[in-house]
Amino acid sequence: MTAYAGKRETTLASSLLTMITFAAAAVWLVPLIFTVLMSVRPPAEPVTQGGIFFGSAITWQNYTRAWEIAPWLTHYANSLIFVVGTLVVQFFTITTAGYAFARMRFFGRDVLLVVMLLQLMIPPGVLLVQNFATIRDLGLFDTHVAMMIPYWGSAFGVLLLRQAFRGIPLELDEAARMDGASVFQLLRHIYVPLSVPTYIAFAVVSVSSHWNEFLWPLLITQSENVRPLTVALNRLIRTADQGSLYSLLMAGTVLVIAPLSIVFIVFQRRFVESFASSGLK
Amino acid sequence: MTARPRPSLYARALPYLLIAPTFVIVFLFTLKPTVSAVVDSTFRPARLPQDSPSFVGLENYLALFDPAHHIGARFGGILLNTLLFGFGTVLITTPLALTFAVLINRRLPLRGLWRFGFVYPSLLPVIGAASIWAFIYADQVGLAAAIFGAGNPNWLGSPSLALLSVMVVHIWSQTGYTMLLYLAGMQNIPRDLYEAAALDGAGDVQQLVYITVPLLQRTTLFVLTIAFTFAFQTVDQLQALTEGGPGDRSNLLLYFIYQNIGERRNWGYINAMTVILGAIVLVFTLSNFLLFDRRGRES
Repeated sequence: MTAYAGKRETTLASSLLTMITFAAAAVWLVPLIFTVLMSVRPPAEPVTQGGIFFGSAITWQNYTRAWEIAPWLTHYANSLIFVVGTLVVQFFTITTAGYAFARMRFFGRDVLLVVMLLQLMIPPGVLLVQNFATIRDLGLFDTHVAMMIPYWGSAFGVLLLRQAFRGIPLELDEAARMDGASVFQLLRHIYVPLSVPTYIAFAVVSVSSHWNEFLWPLLITQSENVRPLTVALNRLIRTADQGSLYSLLMAGTVLVIAPLSIVFIVFQRRFVESFASSGLK
Repeated sequence: MTARPRPSLYARALPYLLIAPTFVIVFLFTLKPTVSAVVDSTFRPARLPQDSPSFVGLENYLALFDPAHHIGARFGGILLNTLLFGFGTVLITTPLALTFAVLINRRLPLRGLWRFGFVYPSLLPVIGAASIWAFIYADQVGLAAAIFGAGNPNWLGSPSLALLSVMVVHIWSQTGYTMLLYLAGMQNIPRDLYEAAALDGAGDVQQLVYITVPLLQRTTLFVLTIAFTFAFQTVDQLQALTEGGPGDRSNLLLYFIYQNIGERRNWGYINAMTVILGAIVLVFTLSNFLLFDRRGRES
Protein backbone atom coordinates (compact mmCIF):
# COMPACT_ATOMS: atom_id res chain seq x y z
CA MET A 1 0.00 0.00 0.00
CA THR A 2 2.52 2.57 -0.99
CA ALA A 3 1.60 5.99 -2.19
CA TYR A 4 2.35 6.33 -5.86
CA ALA A 5 1.80 10.06 -6.12
CA GLY A 6 4.84 11.35 -4.37
CA LYS A 7 6.81 14.43 -5.16
CA ARG A 8 4.90 15.59 -8.23
CA GLU A 9 1.90 16.49 -6.14
CA THR A 10 1.90 20.12 -5.11
CA THR A 11 1.37 20.70 -1.42
CA LEU A 12 -1.83 22.60 -2.07
CA ALA A 13 -3.47 19.92 -4.24
CA SER A 14 -2.27 17.27 -1.84
CA SER A 15 -3.73 18.87 1.25
CA LEU A 16 -6.97 19.53 -0.63
CA LEU A 17 -7.26 15.81 -1.43
CA THR A 18 -6.47 14.97 2.17
CA MET A 19 -9.27 17.29 3.30
CA ILE A 20 -11.69 15.62 0.88
CA THR A 21 -10.69 12.20 2.23
CA PHE A 22 -11.29 13.28 5.81
CA ALA A 23 -14.63 14.84 4.92
CA ALA A 24 -15.82 11.72 3.11
CA ALA A 25 -14.69 9.41 5.91
CA ALA A 26 -16.31 11.72 8.44
CA VAL A 27 -19.64 11.48 6.60
CA TRP A 28 -19.30 7.69 6.65
CA LEU A 29 -18.50 7.74 10.36
CA VAL A 30 -21.38 9.99 11.42
CA PRO A 31 -23.89 7.13 11.83
CA LEU A 32 -21.49 5.23 14.09
CA ILE A 33 -20.61 8.28 16.15
CA PHE A 34 -24.25 9.13 16.74
CA THR A 35 -25.10 5.54 17.54
CA VAL A 36 -22.62 5.66 20.39
CA LEU A 37 -23.64 9.16 21.48
CA MET A 38 -27.36 8.30 21.45
CA SER A 39 -26.73 5.21 23.50
CA VAL A 40 -25.41 7.30 26.42
CA ARG A 41 -28.05 10.03 26.15
CA PRO A 42 -30.86 10.16 28.71
CA PRO A 43 -33.82 8.05 27.47
CA ALA A 44 -36.42 9.88 25.38
CA GLU A 45 -34.22 12.93 24.90
CA PRO A 46 -34.14 13.77 21.18
CA VAL A 47 -30.90 14.90 19.53
CA THR A 48 -32.24 18.43 19.22
CA GLN A 49 -32.53 18.79 22.98
CA GLY A 50 -29.51 19.65 25.11
CA GLY A 51 -26.17 19.62 23.29
CA ILE A 52 -26.42 17.84 19.94
CA PHE A 53 -23.41 15.71 20.83
CA PHE A 54 -23.56 14.95 24.52
CA GLY A 55 -27.15 15.76 25.46
CA SER A 56 -27.97 17.04 28.91
CA ALA A 57 -26.13 14.24 30.71
CA ILE A 58 -24.23 11.05 30.05
CA THR A 59 -25.90 7.92 31.35
CA TRP A 60 -25.52 4.13 31.23
CA GLN A 61 -29.23 3.68 31.86
CA ASN A 62 -29.95 2.61 28.28
CA TYR A 63 -27.42 -0.18 28.50
CA THR A 64 -28.78 -1.54 31.76
CA ARG A 65 -32.32 -1.42 30.38
CA ALA A 66 -31.36 -2.92 27.04
CA TRP A 67 -29.51 -5.66 28.89
CA GLU A 68 -32.64 -6.51 30.88
CA ILE A 69 -34.95 -6.63 27.87
CA ALA A 70 -33.45 -9.70 26.23
CA PRO A 71 -31.36 -12.71 27.33
CA TRP A 72 -28.27 -11.33 25.59
CA LEU A 73 -25.87 -13.91 26.98
CA THR A 74 -27.98 -16.64 25.41
CA HIS A 75 -28.00 -14.76 22.11
CA TYR A 76 -24.23 -14.21 22.19
CA ALA A 77 -23.81 -17.92 22.88
CA ASN A 78 -26.19 -18.82 20.03
CA SER A 79 -24.31 -16.62 17.57
CA LEU A 80 -21.06 -18.13 18.76
CA ILE A 81 -22.37 -21.69 18.43
CA PHE A 82 -23.67 -20.84 14.95
CA VAL A 83 -20.37 -19.46 13.62
CA VAL A 84 -18.05 -21.93 15.37
CA GLY A 85 -20.24 -24.94 14.61
CA THR A 86 -20.36 -23.86 10.98
CA LEU A 87 -16.63 -23.21 10.71
CA VAL A 88 -15.43 -26.40 12.39
CA VAL A 89 -17.44 -28.66 10.09
CA GLN A 90 -16.49 -26.53 7.09
CA PHE A 91 -12.81 -27.02 7.86
CA PHE A 92 -13.23 -30.78 7.56
CA THR A 93 -15.40 -30.81 4.47
CA ILE A 94 -13.43 -28.23 2.50
CA THR A 95 -10.11 -29.86 3.39
CA THR A 96 -11.01 -33.32 2.13
CA ALA A 97 -12.87 -32.07 -0.95
CA GLY A 98 -10.19 -29.47 -1.66
CA TYR A 99 -7.56 -32.21 -1.63
CA ALA A 100 -9.59 -34.54 -3.86
CA PHE A 101 -10.11 -31.81 -6.44
CA ALA A 102 -6.52 -30.56 -6.23
CA ARG A 103 -4.54 -33.79 -6.25
CA MET A 104 -6.62 -36.80 -7.26
CA ARG A 105 -7.78 -38.10 -10.60
CA PHE A 106 -11.17 -39.71 -10.65
CA PHE A 107 -13.99 -40.32 -13.07
CA GLY A 108 -16.31 -37.33 -13.40
CA ARG A 109 -14.07 -34.93 -11.50
CA ASP A 110 -14.56 -31.91 -13.72
CA VAL A 111 -18.30 -32.40 -14.02
CA LEU A 112 -18.60 -32.73 -10.25
CA LEU A 113 -16.59 -29.55 -9.76
CA VAL A 114 -18.98 -27.63 -11.99
CA VAL A 115 -21.97 -29.12 -10.17
CA MET A 116 -20.49 -27.97 -6.89
CA LEU A 117 -20.00 -24.46 -8.27
CA LEU A 118 -23.78 -24.20 -8.69
CA GLN A 119 -23.79 -23.34 -4.99
CA LEU A 120 -21.95 -20.12 -5.79
CA MET A 121 -24.21 -19.36 -8.72
CA ILE A 122 -27.50 -19.89 -6.90
CA PRO A 123 -26.79 -19.09 -3.24
CA PRO A 124 -28.86 -21.07 -0.68
CA GLY A 125 -30.31 -17.79 0.58
CA VAL A 126 -32.28 -17.37 -2.63
CA LEU A 127 -33.94 -20.78 -2.20
CA LEU A 128 -35.61 -19.78 1.07
CA VAL A 129 -38.92 -21.59 0.63
CA GLN A 130 -37.47 -24.89 -0.53
CA ASN A 131 -34.74 -24.94 2.11
CA PHE A 132 -37.26 -24.08 4.79
CA ALA A 133 -39.26 -27.16 3.71
CA THR A 134 -36.12 -29.32 3.79
CA ILE A 135 -35.32 -28.22 7.34
CA ARG A 136 -38.86 -29.11 8.41
CA ASP A 137 -38.65 -32.49 6.69
CA LEU A 138 -35.38 -33.22 8.46
CA GLY A 139 -37.06 -32.36 11.77
CA LEU A 140 -34.52 -29.63 12.44
CA PHE A 141 -36.80 -26.62 12.76
CA ASP A 142 -35.79 -24.33 15.63
CA THR A 143 -32.39 -25.91 16.29
CA HIS A 144 -28.82 -24.66 16.07
CA VAL A 145 -28.07 -27.29 13.45
CA ALA A 146 -30.79 -25.86 11.19
CA MET A 147 -28.92 -22.57 11.01
CA MET A 148 -25.59 -24.21 10.20
CA ILE A 149 -26.36 -27.17 8.00
CA PRO A 150 -26.73 -25.40 4.61
CA TYR A 151 -23.20 -24.03 5.08
CA TRP A 152 -21.51 -27.27 6.08
CA GLY A 153 -20.48 -27.72 2.49
CA SER A 154 -18.80 -24.68 0.98
CA ALA A 155 -17.94 -24.53 -2.71
CA PHE A 156 -16.14 -21.26 -2.05
CA GLY A 157 -13.94 -22.88 0.59
CA VAL A 158 -13.24 -25.91 -1.56
CA LEU A 159 -12.12 -23.63 -4.39
CA LEU A 160 -9.84 -21.63 -2.08
CA LEU A 161 -8.19 -24.77 -0.71
CA ARG A 162 -7.94 -26.46 -4.08
CA GLN A 163 -5.95 -23.43 -5.20
CA ALA A 164 -3.75 -23.47 -2.08
CA PHE A 165 -3.14 -27.24 -2.19
CA ARG A 166 -2.11 -27.09 -5.85
CA GLY A 167 0.68 -24.72 -4.87
CA ILE A 168 2.25 -27.30 -2.54
CA PRO A 169 5.16 -29.19 -4.20
CA LEU A 170 4.05 -32.60 -5.43
CA GLU A 171 7.38 -34.11 -4.31
CA LEU A 172 6.42 -33.63 -0.66
CA ASP A 173 3.24 -35.56 -1.30
CA GLU A 174 5.03 -38.38 -3.13
CA ALA A 175 7.81 -38.71 -0.56
CA ALA A 176 5.28 -39.04 2.26
CA ARG A 177 3.32 -41.61 0.29
CA MET A 178 6.50 -43.68 -0.21
CA ASP A 179 6.81 -43.74 3.55
CA GLY A 180 3.31 -45.18 3.69
CA ALA A 181 1.39 -42.13 4.82
CA SER A 182 -2.38 -42.24 4.35
CA VAL A 183 -4.31 -39.38 2.79
CA PHE A 184 -5.42 -38.20 6.21
CA GLN A 185 -1.84 -38.17 7.48
CA LEU A 186 -0.78 -36.25 4.38
CA LEU A 187 -3.46 -33.68 5.03
CA ARG A 188 -2.65 -33.38 8.69
CA HIS A 189 1.12 -33.13 8.42
CA ILE A 190 1.69 -31.45 5.07
CA TYR A 191 -1.30 -29.85 3.38
CA VAL A 192 -3.10 -28.24 6.31
CA PRO A 193 -0.02 -26.77 8.07
CA LEU A 194 1.24 -25.31 4.79
CA SER A 195 -2.11 -23.66 4.01
CA VAL A 196 -2.73 -21.83 7.26
CA PRO A 197 -3.08 -18.38 5.64
CA THR A 198 -5.80 -19.71 3.35
CA TYR A 199 -7.65 -21.21 6.31
CA ILE A 200 -7.44 -17.89 8.11
CA ALA A 201 -8.76 -16.00 5.10
CA PHE A 202 -11.64 -18.46 4.79
CA ALA A 203 -12.35 -18.30 8.52
CA VAL A 204 -12.53 -14.49 8.48
CA VAL A 205 -15.02 -14.49 5.61
CA SER A 206 -17.08 -17.37 7.01
CA VAL A 207 -17.27 -16.07 10.57
CA SER A 208 -18.12 -12.50 9.66
CA SER A 209 -20.78 -13.46 7.16
CA HIS A 210 -22.53 -15.93 9.48
CA TRP A 211 -22.19 -13.74 12.55
CA ASN A 212 -24.12 -11.12 10.57
CA GLU A 213 -26.68 -13.45 9.05
CA PHE A 214 -30.30 -12.62 9.65
CA LEU A 215 -33.07 -13.78 7.32
CA TRP A 216 -32.26 -17.50 7.38
CA PRO A 217 -32.03 -17.78 11.21
CA LEU A 218 -35.15 -15.65 11.52
CA LEU A 219 -37.03 -18.06 9.28
CA ILE A 220 -35.98 -21.37 10.76
CA THR A 221 -35.83 -20.57 14.47
CA GLN A 222 -38.54 -19.70 16.92
CA SER A 223 -37.27 -19.76 20.47
CA GLU A 224 -34.91 -17.43 22.32
CA ASN A 225 -32.75 -20.42 23.21
CA VAL A 226 -31.67 -20.79 19.63
CA ARG A 227 -31.94 -17.36 18.03
CA PRO A 228 -28.75 -15.41 17.31
CA LEU A 229 -27.99 -11.77 18.11
CA THR A 230 -29.21 -10.38 14.81
CA VAL A 231 -32.68 -11.81 15.31
CA ALA A 232 -32.75 -10.50 18.87
CA LEU A 233 -31.82 -7.04 17.59
CA ASN A 234 -34.69 -7.19 15.13
CA ARG A 235 -37.11 -7.68 18.02
CA LEU A 236 -35.60 -4.74 19.85
CA ILE A 237 -36.04 -2.57 16.75
CA ARG A 238 -39.76 -3.43 16.76
CA THR A 239 -40.14 -2.54 20.42
CA ALA A 240 -38.06 0.63 20.19
CA ASP A 241 -39.72 1.90 17.03
CA GLN A 242 -43.17 1.80 18.55
CA GLY A 243 -42.18 3.76 21.63
CA SER A 244 -39.59 6.01 19.96
CA LEU A 245 -37.03 4.52 22.36
CA TYR A 246 -34.07 5.26 20.17
CA SER A 247 -31.49 5.66 22.92
CA LEU A 248 -32.43 2.18 24.05
CA LEU A 249 -32.23 0.86 20.50
CA MET A 250 -28.78 2.38 19.95
CA ALA A 251 -27.55 0.80 23.19
CA GLY A 252 -28.86 -2.55 21.97
CA THR A 253 -27.24 -1.98 18.58
CA VAL A 254 -23.89 -1.31 20.23
CA LEU A 255 -24.26 -4.56 22.20
CA VAL A 256 -24.77 -6.43 18.93
CA ILE A 257 -22.12 -4.78 16.77
CA ALA A 258 -19.39 -4.40 19.40
CA PRO A 259 -17.81 -7.90 19.39
CA LEU A 260 -17.04 -8.13 15.69
CA SER A 261 -16.06 -4.44 15.48
CA ILE A 262 -13.51 -4.93 18.27
CA VAL A 263 -12.11 -8.02 16.60
CA PHE A 264 -11.88 -6.03 13.37
CA ILE A 265 -10.06 -3.12 14.99
CA VAL A 266 -7.55 -5.46 16.61
CA PHE A 267 -6.96 -7.54 13.48
CA GLN A 268 -7.61 -4.86 10.89
CA ARG A 269 -4.76 -5.93 8.62
CA ARG A 270 -5.81 -9.57 8.68
CA PHE A 271 -9.37 -8.69 7.80
CA VAL A 272 -8.39 -6.39 4.98
CA GLU A 273 -6.05 -8.98 3.50
CA SER A 274 -8.52 -11.82 3.90
CA PHE A 275 -11.39 -9.98 2.28
CA ALA A 276 -9.22 -8.76 -0.53
CA SER A 277 -7.50 -12.06 -1.29
CA SER A 278 -10.56 -14.26 -0.95
CA GLY A 279 -12.50 -11.87 -3.09
CA LEU A 280 -10.06 -11.86 -5.93
CA LYS A 281 -9.37 -15.57 -6.11
CA MET B 1 -11.17 -48.47 5.51
CA THR B 2 -12.74 -51.87 5.94
CA ALA B 3 -11.69 -52.61 2.37
CA ARG B 4 -8.13 -53.61 3.28
CA PRO B 5 -8.30 -56.98 1.50
CA ARG B 6 -9.17 -55.09 -1.69
CA PRO B 7 -7.13 -51.88 -1.46
CA SER B 8 -7.79 -50.89 -5.04
CA LEU B 9 -11.51 -50.55 -4.37
CA TYR B 10 -10.80 -48.33 -1.41
CA ALA B 11 -8.35 -46.32 -3.47
CA ARG B 12 -10.92 -45.88 -6.20
CA ALA B 13 -13.70 -44.96 -3.79
CA LEU B 14 -11.54 -42.58 -1.76
CA PRO B 15 -11.93 -39.40 -3.84
CA TYR B 16 -15.71 -39.82 -3.80
CA LEU B 17 -15.66 -40.32 -0.04
CA LEU B 18 -13.59 -37.16 0.35
CA ILE B 19 -16.02 -35.01 -1.60
CA ALA B 20 -19.16 -36.75 -0.30
CA PRO B 21 -19.85 -34.48 2.72
CA THR B 22 -19.69 -31.36 0.53
CA PHE B 23 -21.91 -32.96 -2.07
CA VAL B 24 -24.55 -34.08 0.39
CA ILE B 25 -24.95 -30.43 1.41
CA VAL B 26 -24.83 -29.11 -2.15
CA PHE B 27 -27.42 -31.70 -3.14
CA LEU B 28 -29.78 -30.99 -0.24
CA PHE B 29 -29.58 -27.19 -0.22
CA THR B 30 -28.77 -26.26 -3.81
CA LEU B 31 -29.53 -28.97 -6.37
CA LYS B 32 -32.70 -30.43 -4.93
CA PRO B 33 -34.29 -27.06 -4.09
CA THR B 34 -33.38 -25.64 -7.52
CA VAL B 35 -35.01 -28.54 -9.32
CA SER B 36 -38.04 -28.53 -7.04
CA ALA B 37 -38.48 -24.76 -7.46
CA VAL B 38 -38.56 -25.20 -11.23
CA VAL B 39 -40.90 -28.21 -11.07
CA ASP B 40 -43.22 -26.78 -8.42
CA SER B 41 -43.49 -23.51 -10.31
CA THR B 42 -45.58 -25.40 -12.89
CA PHE B 43 -48.09 -26.70 -10.33
CA ARG B 44 -50.96 -25.15 -8.46
CA PRO B 45 -51.34 -26.33 -4.85
CA ALA B 46 -54.62 -28.11 -4.04
CA ARG B 47 -57.08 -26.43 -1.70
CA LEU B 48 -56.75 -29.25 0.80
CA PRO B 49 -53.32 -30.38 1.96
CA GLN B 50 -54.12 -34.06 1.33
CA ASP B 51 -55.05 -33.54 -2.34
CA SER B 52 -52.34 -33.55 -4.96
CA PRO B 53 -51.40 -30.33 -6.76
CA SER B 54 -52.44 -29.90 -10.38
CA PHE B 55 -50.10 -29.25 -13.29
CA VAL B 56 -50.69 -25.82 -14.80
CA GLY B 57 -47.71 -25.34 -17.12
CA LEU B 58 -46.60 -21.74 -17.27
CA GLU B 59 -49.80 -20.33 -15.77
CA ASN B 60 -48.09 -19.23 -12.56
CA TYR B 61 -45.58 -17.21 -14.54
CA LEU B 62 -48.32 -15.66 -16.68
CA ALA B 63 -50.23 -14.74 -13.53
CA LEU B 64 -47.19 -12.87 -12.20
CA PHE B 65 -47.34 -10.57 -15.20
CA ASP B 66 -51.14 -10.20 -15.13
CA PRO B 67 -52.05 -6.91 -13.41
CA ALA B 68 -55.57 -8.20 -12.68
CA HIS B 69 -54.23 -11.11 -10.61
CA HIS B 70 -53.85 -10.72 -6.83
CA ILE B 71 -50.13 -11.51 -6.97
CA GLY B 72 -49.52 -10.13 -10.45
CA ALA B 73 -50.89 -6.76 -9.34
CA ARG B 74 -47.97 -6.52 -6.91
CA PHE B 75 -45.26 -8.49 -8.70
CA GLY B 76 -44.55 -6.02 -11.53
CA GLY B 77 -43.79 -3.15 -9.17
CA ILE B 78 -41.70 -5.35 -6.90
CA LEU B 79 -39.65 -6.69 -9.80
CA LEU B 80 -39.08 -3.12 -10.98
CA ASN B 81 -38.04 -2.10 -7.44
CA THR B 82 -35.62 -5.03 -7.31
CA LEU B 83 -33.96 -4.02 -10.58
CA LEU B 84 -33.90 -0.34 -9.55
CA PHE B 85 -32.38 -1.29 -6.20
CA GLY B 86 -29.77 -3.54 -7.85
CA PHE B 87 -28.71 -1.16 -10.61
CA GLY B 88 -29.10 1.99 -8.52
CA THR B 89 -27.00 0.82 -5.60
CA VAL B 90 -24.30 -0.84 -7.71
CA LEU B 91 -23.90 2.06 -10.11
CA ILE B 92 -23.46 4.47 -7.22
CA THR B 93 -21.38 2.22 -4.94
CA THR B 94 -18.80 1.22 -7.55
CA PRO B 95 -17.54 4.67 -8.68
CA LEU B 96 -17.78 5.91 -5.10
CA ALA B 97 -15.66 3.00 -3.87
CA LEU B 98 -13.08 3.63 -6.61
CA THR B 99 -12.92 7.30 -5.59
CA PHE B 100 -12.44 6.38 -1.93
CA ALA B 101 -9.78 3.83 -2.86
CA VAL B 102 -7.86 6.43 -4.87
CA LEU B 103 -8.17 8.93 -2.03
CA ILE B 104 -6.99 6.53 0.62
CA ASN B 105 -4.19 4.98 -1.43
CA ARG B 106 -1.98 8.01 -0.75
CA ARG B 107 0.32 9.18 1.97
CA LEU B 108 -2.10 10.19 4.71
CA PRO B 109 -1.91 10.85 8.42
CA LEU B 110 -4.02 8.32 10.39
CA ARG B 111 -4.73 6.26 7.31
CA GLY B 112 -5.91 3.26 9.35
CA LEU B 113 -8.59 5.36 10.98
CA TRP B 114 -10.00 6.68 7.70
CA ARG B 115 -9.93 3.24 6.18
CA PHE B 116 -11.79 1.95 9.21
CA GLY B 117 -14.32 4.74 8.72
CA PHE B 118 -15.15 3.53 5.23
CA VAL B 119 -14.97 -0.19 5.91
CA TYR B 120 -16.75 -0.68 9.23
CA PRO B 121 -20.30 -0.44 7.80
CA SER B 122 -19.55 -3.52 5.66
CA LEU B 123 -18.76 -5.47 8.80
CA LEU B 124 -21.98 -4.68 10.58
CA PRO B 125 -24.85 -7.08 10.26
CA VAL B 126 -27.23 -5.56 7.70
CA ILE B 127 -29.85 -5.59 10.44
CA GLY B 128 -27.48 -3.57 12.67
CA ALA B 129 -26.95 -1.03 9.89
CA ALA B 130 -30.71 -0.88 9.44
CA SER B 131 -31.16 -0.32 13.16
CA ILE B 132 -28.80 2.67 13.05
CA TRP B 133 -30.65 4.11 10.07
CA ALA B 134 -33.99 3.52 11.75
CA PHE B 135 -32.80 6.11 14.25
CA ILE B 136 -31.42 8.45 11.57
CA TYR B 137 -34.70 8.35 9.63
CA ALA B 138 -36.96 8.48 12.70
CA ASP B 139 -39.71 11.06 12.54
CA GLN B 140 -39.03 14.18 14.62
CA VAL B 141 -36.51 12.57 16.96
CA GLY B 142 -34.08 11.18 14.38
CA LEU B 143 -30.74 12.54 13.22
CA ALA B 144 -32.10 13.58 9.81
CA ALA B 145 -34.87 15.50 11.59
CA ALA B 146 -32.23 17.34 13.60
CA ILE B 147 -30.40 18.25 10.39
CA PHE B 148 -33.35 19.13 8.16
CA GLY B 149 -35.54 20.68 10.85
CA ALA B 150 -39.12 21.40 9.85
CA GLY B 151 -38.48 20.43 6.23
CA ASN B 152 -37.53 16.85 7.17
CA PRO B 153 -39.44 14.47 4.91
CA ASN B 154 -40.93 11.19 6.07
CA TRP B 155 -38.07 9.12 4.67
CA LEU B 156 -39.44 5.64 5.20
CA GLY B 157 -43.14 6.42 5.07
CA SER B 158 -43.34 8.38 1.86
CA PRO B 159 -44.06 6.37 -1.30
CA SER B 160 -41.55 8.33 -3.36
CA LEU B 161 -38.68 8.21 -0.84
CA ALA B 162 -38.97 4.78 0.81
CA LEU B 163 -37.01 2.80 -1.78
CA LEU B 164 -34.39 5.53 -2.07
CA SER B 165 -33.94 5.62 1.72
CA VAL B 166 -33.40 1.88 1.80
CA MET B 167 -30.90 2.16 -1.06
CA VAL B 168 -28.92 4.75 0.90
CA VAL B 169 -28.44 2.22 3.71
CA HIS B 170 -27.17 -0.39 1.25
CA ILE B 171 -24.79 2.07 -0.44
CA TRP B 172 -23.45 3.22 2.91
CA SER B 173 -22.81 -0.33 4.03
CA GLN B 174 -21.37 -1.80 0.80
CA THR B 175 -18.99 0.92 -0.39
CA GLY B 176 -16.25 0.03 2.09
CA TYR B 177 -16.03 -3.61 1.05
CA THR B 178 -15.89 -2.61 -2.61
CA MET B 179 -13.18 -0.08 -1.75
CA LEU B 180 -11.10 -2.88 -0.20
CA LEU B 181 -11.33 -4.88 -3.41
CA TYR B 182 -10.17 -1.85 -5.39
CA LEU B 183 -7.30 -1.22 -2.95
CA ALA B 184 -6.18 -4.83 -3.41
CA GLY B 185 -6.38 -4.41 -7.19
CA MET B 186 -4.27 -1.25 -7.01
CA GLN B 187 -1.45 -3.08 -5.25
CA ASN B 188 -1.08 -5.25 -8.34
CA ILE B 189 -0.35 -2.31 -10.63
CA PRO B 190 3.43 -2.14 -11.15
CA ARG B 191 4.91 0.99 -9.66
CA ASP B 192 7.31 1.54 -12.55
CA LEU B 193 4.33 2.38 -14.76
CA TYR B 194 3.67 5.43 -12.62
CA GLU B 195 7.35 6.31 -12.48
CA ALA B 196 7.69 6.05 -16.26
CA ALA B 197 4.57 8.14 -16.75
CA ALA B 198 5.84 10.74 -14.30
CA LEU B 199 9.13 10.92 -16.21
CA ASP B 200 7.18 11.56 -19.39
CA GLY B 201 5.48 14.45 -17.64
CA ALA B 202 2.09 12.86 -16.90
CA GLY B 203 0.35 14.53 -13.95
CA ASP B 204 -1.63 12.78 -11.24
CA VAL B 205 -4.93 13.11 -13.06
CA GLN B 206 -3.43 11.70 -16.25
CA GLN B 207 -1.88 8.82 -14.32
CA LEU B 208 -5.26 8.09 -12.82
CA VAL B 209 -7.10 8.20 -16.13
CA TYR B 210 -4.52 6.38 -18.26
CA ILE B 211 -3.02 3.90 -15.80
CA THR B 212 -5.06 3.28 -12.66
CA VAL B 213 -8.57 3.09 -14.08
CA PRO B 214 -7.78 1.01 -17.19
CA LEU B 215 -5.63 -1.44 -15.23
CA LEU B 216 -8.41 -1.89 -12.69
CA GLN B 217 -10.82 -3.03 -15.39
CA ARG B 218 -10.70 -6.64 -14.23
CA THR B 219 -11.34 -5.63 -10.65
CA THR B 220 -14.25 -3.49 -11.81
CA LEU B 221 -15.87 -6.37 -13.69
CA PHE B 222 -15.47 -8.59 -10.68
CA VAL B 223 -16.78 -5.95 -8.29
CA LEU B 224 -19.83 -5.35 -10.49
CA THR B 225 -20.82 -8.99 -10.64
CA ILE B 226 -20.53 -9.67 -6.92
CA ALA B 227 -22.20 -6.39 -6.04
CA PHE B 228 -25.21 -7.21 -8.22
CA THR B 229 -25.45 -10.72 -6.81
CA PHE B 230 -25.33 -9.38 -3.29
CA ALA B 231 -27.83 -6.59 -3.95
CA PHE B 232 -30.46 -9.06 -5.17
CA GLN B 233 -30.11 -11.23 -2.05
CA THR B 234 -29.98 -8.56 0.63
CA VAL B 235 -33.37 -7.76 2.07
CA ASP B 236 -32.65 -7.81 5.83
CA GLN B 237 -32.94 -4.02 6.05
CA LEU B 238 -36.54 -4.16 4.84
CA GLN B 239 -37.57 -6.22 7.86
CA ALA B 240 -36.29 -3.46 10.14
CA LEU B 241 -37.10 -0.34 8.14
CA THR B 242 -40.17 -0.52 5.94
CA GLU B 243 -41.40 -4.12 5.68
CA GLY B 244 -41.62 -3.38 1.97
CA GLY B 245 -44.05 -0.51 2.45
CA PRO B 246 -45.72 1.84 2.05
CA GLY B 247 -47.87 -0.24 -0.29
CA ASP B 248 -44.96 -2.29 -1.69
CA ARG B 249 -43.14 0.86 -2.77
CA SER B 250 -39.89 -0.38 -1.20
CA ASN B 251 -40.57 -4.10 -1.50
CA LEU B 252 -37.98 -6.40 -3.08
CA LEU B 253 -38.38 -9.82 -4.63
CA LEU B 254 -36.69 -11.97 -1.99
CA TYR B 255 -38.52 -10.18 0.79
CA PHE B 256 -41.84 -10.65 -1.00
CA ILE B 257 -41.04 -14.36 -1.26
CA TYR B 258 -40.26 -14.40 2.46
CA GLN B 259 -43.54 -12.62 3.26
CA ASN B 260 -45.51 -15.27 1.38
CA ILE B 261 -43.89 -18.40 2.77
CA GLY B 262 -46.81 -19.10 5.07
CA GLU B 263 -49.42 -18.72 2.32
CA ARG B 264 -50.01 -22.21 0.97
CA ARG B 265 -52.28 -21.05 -1.84
CA ASN B 266 -49.46 -18.87 -3.20
CA TRP B 267 -46.83 -21.60 -3.34
CA GLY B 268 -46.98 -21.93 -7.11
CA TYR B 269 -46.32 -18.21 -7.51
CA ILE B 270 -43.61 -18.22 -4.86
CA ASN B 271 -41.80 -20.95 -6.75
CA ALA B 272 -42.17 -19.07 -10.01
CA MET B 273 -40.75 -15.95 -8.32
CA THR B 274 -37.88 -17.96 -6.85
CA VAL B 275 -37.06 -19.24 -10.34
CA ILE B 276 -37.10 -15.67 -11.71
CA LEU B 277 -34.91 -14.38 -8.87
CA GLY B 278 -32.57 -17.36 -9.27
CA ALA B 279 -32.34 -16.64 -13.00
CA ILE B 280 -31.48 -12.97 -12.37
CA VAL B 281 -28.76 -13.93 -9.89
CA LEU B 282 -27.51 -16.65 -12.22
CA VAL B 283 -27.00 -14.17 -15.07
CA PHE B 284 -24.58 -12.19 -12.90
CA THR B 285 -22.77 -15.08 -11.22
CA LEU B 286 -22.42 -16.96 -14.49
CA SER B 287 -20.94 -13.96 -16.24
CA ASN B 288 -18.53 -13.65 -13.32
CA PHE B 289 -17.44 -17.26 -13.85
CA LEU B 290 -17.10 -16.94 -17.59
CA LEU B 291 -15.11 -13.73 -17.26
CA PHE B 292 -12.81 -15.07 -14.56
CA ASP B 293 -12.58 -18.70 -15.58
CA ARG B 294 -9.30 -18.18 -17.42
CA ARG B 295 -7.75 -16.79 -14.28
CA GLY B 296 -8.59 -19.94 -12.32
CA ARG B 297 -7.16 -22.22 -15.03
CA GLU B 298 -3.81 -20.46 -15.14
CA SER B 299 -2.57 -21.81 -11.85
